[in-house]
Amino acid sequence: MIAAASLTLAACGGGSDSEGGGSGGTSDAVITSFSTQPQNPLIPTNTNEVGGGNIVDLIFAGLISYKTDGSSENEVADSITSDDNKLWTVKIKSGWKFSDGTDVTANSFVDAWNYGADAANEQLSAYFFYPIAGTDDEGTIPDGGKTISGLKVVDDSTFTIELKQSESDFPSRLGYSAFFPLPASAFDDMDAFGKKPIGNGPYDFASMTDNVEAVLTPSKTYEGVRPAKNGGVTLKFYENPDTAFSDVQAGNLDVLDQVPPSALTTYKDDSSIQAFSEPGSPNSTITIPESLPGFEKGEEGNLRRQAISKAINREEITDKIFDGSRIPSTDFSSPLMPGFTEDIEGQDVLDFDAAGAKDLWAQADAIKPFEGKFVVAYNADGPGNKEWVEALTNQLKNNLGINAEPKAFPTFAELRTEVTDRTIGTAFRTGWQPDYPSIYNYIAPIFGTGAGSNDGDYSNKDLDALLQQASGAQDDTERYKLYADAQAILFKDLPAIPLWNTSISAAAADGVKNVKFNWQNKPELQDITK
Amino acid sequence: MWWYIGRRALQAIPVVLGATLLIYAMVFLQPGDPIKALFGEKPVNETIRASIAAQYNLDDPFLIQWLKYLGNALTGDFGLTYAQQPVSQVIGDAFPVTLKLAVMALIIESVLGVAAGFYAGLRKGKLFDSTMLIVSLLVIAVPIFVFGFLMQLIFGVKLGWAPITVGGDASIKNLMLPAIVLGLVSFAYILRLTRTSVVENLTADHVRTARAKGLSDRSVNSRHVLRNSMIPVVTYLGADLGTLMAGAIVTEGIFNVPGIGNLAFRAINRGEGSTVVSIVTLMVLIYVVMSLVVDLLYAWLDPRIRYA
Repeated sequence: MIAAASLTLAACGGGSDSEGGGSGGTSDAVITSFSTQPQNPLIPTNTNEVGGGNIVDLIFAGLISYKTDGSSENEVADSITSDDNKLWTVKIKSGWKFSDGTDVTANSFVDAWNYGADAANEQLSAYFFYPIAGTDDEGTIPDGGKTISGLKVVDDSTFTIELKQSESDFPSRLGYSAFFPLPASAFDDMDAFGKKPIGNGPYDFASMTDNVEAVLTPSKTYEGVRPAKNGGVTLKFYENPDTAFSDVQAGNLDVLDQVPPSALTTYKDDSSIQAFSEPGSPNSTITIPESLPGFEKGEEGNLRRQAISKAINREEITDKIFDGSRIPSTDFSSPLMPGFTEDIEGQDVLDFDAAGAKDLWAQADAIKPFEGKFVVAYNADGPGNKEWVEALTNQLKNNLGINAEPKAFPTFAELRTEVTDRTIGTAFRTGWQPDYPSIYNYIAPIFGTGAGSNDGDYSNKDLDALLQQASGAQDDTERYKLYADAQAILFKDLPAIPLWNTSISAAAADGVKNVKFNWQNKPELQDITK
Repeated sequence: MWWYIGRRALQAIPVVLGATLLIYAMVFLQPGDPIKALFGEKPVNETIRASIAAQYNLDDPFLIQWLKYLGNALTGDFGLTYAQQPVSQVIGDAFPVTLKLAVMALIIESVLGVAAGFYAGLRKGKLFDSTMLIVSLLVIAVPIFVFGFLMQLIFGVKLGWAPITVGGDASIKNLMLPAIVLGLVSFAYILRLTRTSVVENLTADHVRTARAKGLSDRSVNSRHVLRNSMIPVVTYLGADLGTLMAGAIVTEGIFNVPGIGNLAFRAINRGEGSTVVSIVTLMVLIYVVMSLVVDLLYAWLDPRIRYA
């Protein structure tokens, strides 16, 4: 049974040339997939959670789309070009249509983004427009404006985007749902549109029954890069992944992208299903603010940070507490990101080495003795947080001989309030889920000087310079090299200590083919057949 | 009797008001800002947060929020969910499903519970009675979700007799398994109640009199023993419909029934005050109505009880 399961794994990890016949195979079977009741109206700029995202991603197509490996390719866009990485010109392909028959034009995009960034429309994903000139740090148009000044329509098939500062991988942001186009009819009655959206994606929105399911049928007009290879997708809403797992076992549900914790130890050996376990994109870290005594900028602080990193046995925690549903980090991003490398200077600081850790800590103590205790704050409403923070502080206690202890906050909101107010006064757990598949997105918003999510107030001029350089770089190899250099600085300073990446733990019913997962840990539903 | 019903209806008003106030206070006291939570892990846009909060009166003190809710509710407007749907519509979709499930559970548990309890009472101390004692103790002792998952595994996954999940098709056939699971604990209580009551009544004066009159066993048992044993059972059943509906949350989760329990659970998690309060108010009303029905049934079961 174990052998059978690992064979399945190998086949699915290996690529598309297995039994489904890669791109050729299409079938009429409708695929059912696990989802949850959408929490907001189905408007792309107002969809920021998985339940709505699962639907929106399938019924819309953006300027670019993401391939399974995280790289991007033009979809509606014919070209997205810039000489200075700051003023981008977008040309869109002709012939794209919304499912109501109207054309997809430059205005379909610009009007949709203006709508999303207009604070009066209360769109939850307005944040994604913040790189564009004419928006504030939160992505909305200041002073009640209705249009983003950085967006200009040139003609029906061309528009320009002016950014606040140059950013070389800006186009790779454009596949995210906030950047999808809207048909003109949407603006007449957005409430009605949110209930029955009209898109330009591989599927049409047929119907949705609250708390039950959303039915998507293959689009007749779509001619993009993600064509539907099945007879439709039905997203079934569950309250409880345990129930969905039973449905997969019985063959009532084709794909479940999150195996419930209760089944994590057994699902890989379960012969009634196909099991998937692959690295995923979200990561977990511990941020140690520079304001903590003993961890200030400088040699002493760096030694202590490195000692803590080396004193953590990541393997033990991911195995024992997470049953392999987390994979120890080897960098600050994720193995799914384009340009990911295991060859970064100073990466060995993530390897468990109790003796070396103790030695580093002693060196720091020689500079100035450490007083007090090392506290790691966490939110108790996140599943499993208590267990791993306790295990981690115990490891620190045993391996470094210091006084380390966890500190629980009842909710995520309470932890974040103290973190953003800078009143927390301890180390704390952090995590990042990328907005788009790029290593840059794991570094700049978190470790850039003064960046929006720089919770530890880290600042390093060399890192800022490298990020700036990477933003101006014109080719990928050069950019990836600069990301690696930037990470080498982070490995030295360790403003946050990388712990692990959340992996994809998924299950599919027997007989379901071509199940692959993308950088968002989501199945590529349009490719699945049975 | 109409005077009695009217008085009871008037009594329901302060009960409902008190319940909404209590629940509103609890939702209000939940730590964290529900609107901030809407933004997930992305930075919160203050302008947008404030404008959404104003829409749901979330920045008002809680008494004002409650009064505004009540005022709107009186005109039939129960507010909007965060997904911009009218709460009345969301509840309207979920309520019939849960009601159907609860009524099915009620029928299953009362028919089986009364029959088994009656027989066990008549055969006090015999094998059937002892077996039922063990069965009912077991059912009461084991948490409901254990039975849920167990029956799902056996009848759904292994044997394939029943659908594992209900989803969109809330037909009687699909709801059978969840209804059995939901009614299981009450079945055990009803069995115990009926059995004790029957045993007690068997030695009562009026039963002895009936036998002395020369009535047949059958007639004594059904007309004198069973009917008089029903008073505690009916009391329990009346309160149980409300409990079943409120308690369906676990069963609904296990069998993915799109009912009121699932809805309440999600609304509580999201801090969606208007949905939570509306559901709870509805539950309170059901309790009030059911206890009235039970009181009226007493009069039918025991002619000595009269309401004037």
